[in-house]
Amino acid sequence: MKKLFAIAWKDAVVRFASSSELLFFIILPIVFTFLLAGGSPSANGDNRIRLVVVDQANTAISQKIIVELDKSTAVRPEVLMLEEAESQFDSRRASVVLILPASLDLQAIQDGTAQVDFRQQPNNLNATVAERAVQTAIRRVSSTINAANMAVKEAEANGTFESEADRQAYFADALKLAQSMQADEPERVIVIEGSTPDRVDYDPRANASAGQLVTWVFIPLFGISALFAYERQQGTLRRILTTPTSKATYLLGTIAGQVVMAFVQMTLLVLFGIFVMRLGWGRDPFALFVLLTAAALAAGAIGTTMGTFIKTEGQAGGLSIMAGMVMALMGGCWYPLELFPSTVQNIVKVLPTTWAMQGLLDIVLRGQGLVAILPEAGVLLGFAAVFFAIGVLRFKYE
Amino acid sequence: MLKTLLIGLKDVRLAFRDRAALILMLAAPFVLTLGLGLVTGRFSGNTNSGLSDIPVIIVNLDNDQLGDALVEVFNSQDLADLMEPTPSRFADPEAARRLIDEDEAAAAVIIPAGFTRSVIPQQADFTNPETFAAEPVKIEVYANPSRPTGAGIIKAIVDEFISRVEEGRVSGATSILQLMFSGRITPEQAEAAGTAMGERLQENTPDGALAITVNSSTADGEAVKFDALAYIAPGMALMFLMYTVSYGGRSILAERAQGTLPRLLVSPTSSAQILGGKIFGIFLTGGAQMLILISASSLFFQLKWGDPLGVIVLVLAAVFGATGWGMIITALARTPSQVASIGTAIMLIFGILGGSFINLEQMPPFVQTMSKITPNAWALNGFTTLGLGGTLADLSTPIMALLGMGALLFAVSVMMFGKKNLVQK
Repeated sequence: MKKLFAIAWKDAVVRFASSSELLFFIILPIVFTFLLAGGSPSANGDNRIRLVVVDQANTAISQKIIVELDKSTAVRPEVLMLEEAESQFDSRRASVVLILPASLDLQAIQDGTAQVDFRQQPNNLNATVAERAVQTAIRRVSSTINAANMAVKEAEANGTFESEADRQAYFADALKLAQSMQADEPERVIVIEGSTPDRVDYDPRANASAGQLVTWVFIPLFGISALFAYERQQGTLRRILTTPTSKATYLLGTIAGQVVMAFVQMTLLVLFGIFVMRLGWGRDPFALFVLLTAAALAAGAIGTTMGTFIKTEGQAGGLSIMAGMVMALMGGCWYPLELFPSTVQNIVKVLPTTWAMQGLLDIVLRGQGLVAILPEAGVLLGFAAVFFAIGVLRFKYE
Repeated sequence: MLKTLLIGLKDVRLAFRDRAALILMLAAPFVLTLGLGLVTGRFSGNTNSGLSDIPVIIVNLDNDQLGDALVEVFNSQDLADLMEPTPSRFADPEAARRLIDEDEAAAAVIIPAGFTRSVIPQQADFTNPETFAAEPVKIEVYANPSRPTGAGIIKAIVDEFISRVEEGRVSGATSILQLMFSGRITPEQAEAAGTAMGERLQENTPDGALAITVNSSTADGEAVKFDALAYIAPGMALMFLMYTVSYGGRSILAERAQGTLPRLLVSPTSSAQILGGKIFGIFLTGGAQMLILISASSLFFQLKWGDPLGVIVLVLAAVFGATGWGMIITALARTPSQVASIGTAIMLIFGILGGSFINLEQMPPFVQTMSKITPNAWALNGFTTLGLGGTLADLSTPIMALLGMGALLFAVSVMMFGKKNLVQK
């Protein structure tokens, strides 16, 4: 027992010899969790098509058009200056630009000279949608003036006005009438939301907290391979041969030490989740403990097996980072697994990160307990058993 | 000059012989690009964009003028690429709603019986108190909450149709009522005037004419469909470029620790030549890394990076900016292992700040502002422009920003090297 502790302590001292290790142990995981929680696409995000609007008129009419556009369920107006809008359009960052020119006012509409510019990228379906939304908004704003203009024309078809003032008065009365009719316009469309089950179980904060925990704990545990390679390169493993220390004691000490350190790291990240991000990590502490232990053992076991294949510390370090990042990505730690194509969703079940992530989401997102996470914990312990067996069988001091 | 070149080439050779370095320089960005391509559906053609062939179920129980017109709108040539209406005529609203609940379409548009008559009442309706006072008949859009964009577009199309209907109704009613109020016609003449007006308008007014003319123009050039991989691949390559430049910087400190730097300094080689050679080596290694990754993704993933001249100039500018950061990290660190740690940390931080993991547009505004210090964000901006069909001429801002960043960081790092006497005889 004393030997186990001594080996684990030695590894901790080696790992934290440089204070920069703290960057990877706690600082970067927290930074990534924080940024991904705030920046991940949210289920409640505005999914409408972006419509760049340039308001050169800045009149009541132009502002009404923008307000009407904002009510649209298809487009999201974003008002920019002409130069920025043109730059985005030229670099194809904006698929459509609506320019409301300085001349757009009530008089121009009345005179029939009002115009707006609508620029679109070639063969762009977003532009097709946006054009319809623009037409709806313009119609909503100008229809009463249109109606009054038409009333004047109809009156002229039934006889002439005595004077221009008479004509203007007729227009004003018709406009008032049209406006009151528009105000009383009945709702003719009703939207009912279906009860389609949401395929994506997602909360950016919970997903970021769980996903970054898995990512940043798995990478150093895969790094057990670098510890073996380092000791092998330095010749210290051979020295252990000369001491009364069995292979099992050495391996157990090294792996247990790293797993305990991983546990400290996971505890810190969970506490950050509870106290800073207000996430429900603490609903069932025992279930969380079981799952984190199973996940740490699985990652430690894979690191042990990797250590028996890789020759140098540099290669082990690089491969640990690469394997950790790829497994985290494919396991749904960065983006929700439900968004992956269905074939990929099935393939990634061979990865421990997928099971760890699903188990953690069961706890923090779905509020489930021990019984719910037992399958995930069982699979992770299976990974641990298989890879520890391979690692121990293949392990050599030289 | 020759010595600088030789030192640079020697460092490139060493970097590409180091298998451990190759893992993070080439294997990691390639494998991560492959992984991201798989999870985004790039390789299976399932990009979930949802903006073409949006499935919609239409139930027309009205079977009258306006109901039929709305069905025609959804089946029009204008919307042929955007919408995929149900081919057969649905008559059962419950079945349509069930299909939405089963996620078979983005929304169901249910036009109830009597919709047309509710908008355009007939003469008999005015005299029947029951129909005159009745609630207006409403079109139901039964939306699928898991396809919000598609459902929103369908609702917008229905809204546009209704706005046209309402405009016609308000215009017609205003004209007739105003004629009556001004005494130009009598109430008895109203129906005949309305009919005459309708006929006249049908002949003279184009369908759906607006009071404000929309001058629609389409940009020149071909339609460009943005390939998600054109964002993912440069994002990953740029993130691991930061590893390469810190690896190069580490070699300066490693050479000093191993004693090869003092040996170089006793040879007839100036400090400037040595430092220049080391920086040149980092620049060449970074450039080679980027070009290998670009070639590999073009070859294996059929990724089109865009205008070749633009790509080359942007790569050189990005590597110049990143090399500046590599120099700063080297100047700040005391040991090679410190450079490795700080370099890896900066690689990851710049990766997330620069948009390699998540599109910067989805990030909070303060992150978008902070991203300006990273070469990743500027270069990724440039690569996205190229992916969208832009050319070298469109890259002036990112290229200038990268060159400016590199020049500033070089100046600062050279001053710091001078203070530390890092490469002094």
